[in-house]
Amino acid sequence: MSEKIKILYVDDEPDNLIGFKASLRLDYHILTAVNIPQAMSCLSNHPDIKVIFCDQRMPDTTGVEFFEEIRTSFPLPVRILLTAYTDVESIIDAINRGNIFRYVKKPWTEPDIISAIDEANKFYMANSMLSIKNDELQKAYNELNKFAYSVSHDIRGPLSGILGAINVAREIEDIEEMKEMLFLMEKSLKKLDTYIINMHDYYSLQRGELKITDIDFNEVFDELKPIYSVISKTSNVAFNISINQEEVFRSDAVPLKLIFNNLLANAFKYQDKKRENKSVEVTVEVKKSQAIIHIKDTGIGILGDHIGEIFNLFYRANSQEVGSGFGLYNVKSALLKLNGQIEVNSIMHQGTTFKVTIPSI
Amino acid sequence: MELSFIIIDDSELDCFIARKIVAHADKSIPVKTFQNAQDVIKIIEHNTEDSNNGTTIILLDLQMPLMNGFEFVEEFEKFSSGIKDRYMIVVLSSTRNSNDISRILTYRSVHSLMEKPITREKLLSLILQGKTGL
Repeated sequence: MSEKIKILYVDDEPDNLIGFKASLRLDYHILTAVNIPQAMSCLSNHPDIKVIFCDQRMPDTTGVEFFEEIRTSFPLPVRILLTAYTDVESIIDAINRGNIFRYVKKPWTEPDIISAIDEANKFYMANSMLSIKNDELQKAYNELNKFAYSVSHDIRGPLSGILGAINVAREIEDIEEMKEMLFLMEKSLKKLDTYIINMHDYYSLQRGELKITDIDFNEVFDELKPIYSVISKTSNVAFNISINQEEVFRSDAVPLKLIFNNLLANAFKYQDKKRENKSVEVTVEVKKSQAIIHIKDTGIGILGDHIGEIFNLFYRANSQEVGSGFGLYNVKSALLKLNGQIEVNSIMHQGTTFKVTIPSI
Repeated sequence: MELSFIIIDDSELDCFIARKIVAHADKSIPVKTFQNAQDVIKIIEHNTEDSNNGTTIILLDLQMPLMNGFEFVEEFEKFSSGIKDRYMIVVLSSTRNSNDISRILTYRSVHSLMEKPITREKLLSLILQGKTGL
């Protein structure tokens, strides 16, 4: 570990503080406090203190009382009591009320302190790792809940629509009516298919390591362009890409393509059908070890109220049944993996611009 | 009694199916379909002096973007009882989520629940109920 472990030592005798600091300051980041108020302000200013040593005998408050007080307000630092007096009562108190990790006898020796710090640091790391894992678990659990809910709607919805259509088909004589229904059935199935593909993207983004390679944005968009050239022609949307890359850019191509694919799909999907001169403009600028990509459309725009929520899982800001509620969430997850950022600017009935910034890794 | 249908569902296919079934059962019953529930609130708002004394059955999907079924019912309950009495809300749902189902049934203006898929049998029995004013 590169950074020194931060340690707070509280003692009412300045000589002790100086001695402690003198012998340990090379290996550790030592903070000292001569009384409880000083110790409290030190804890507030340094939330990353990992270990607290405190003398038991102090004029106003005992070490145990101090530990008892900070147990709830500063629960993270590991508490170690220093004392010259070893009566059983105070040991019991220190354990039960102060909830201390260790007990070091005064006068202390350097190996005693170093081993105490070592063990305390391991304990601290294990604890904080546990709380990180806990947060991750909670997040995964919340998403699982959303999933279970969405599965019944987004998977069962199109299926029950198709079942309903088959039921109705028995009554339909008119071939045009039948064709219209087949078209809608196809649309439902495509939606279901998109949902499943996106679900797979979602899963692969959550797991798996990054595979960093040299990225040539010209190649990336040469691959993407044909996918959208059909819709560009049939819907009469001009599609322009301008790339300015003069330096090497390193990143993972898979999440990168996922980001552009989703943003481009949206840019074409949410075009304003009534409008003339429809377009999707892409600009890529790679310099100073970062790529800035703008994807600008002349679409229907996103209502101000919804902008804050569009990156949420299963959020849909449009009543047309095209969205799965996965796309922008996946974009955000992919950007998180690549350390990138996204900004959105949208004007109703004029269009939306997404600005993506990704550092070279 | 005059009967008409309003179908609110973000799925075009479900709207289409419901419209076809009603049309096949009785061509004289008017059917309107909407993919956005907000549009229906506006229509009910502007339709205060309805001259006919018929009933409009609203088939309402629960999970929709922009305004979902719950939000629609909340808004609907704010209308005067004279207006509310002209409508009969039947909730359409593909959900198996019992929380959602029990929650939506607590609203007074929700008449009943119809589980998707929408079929001929289910809609015919509903038309019968609507005609006899149950």
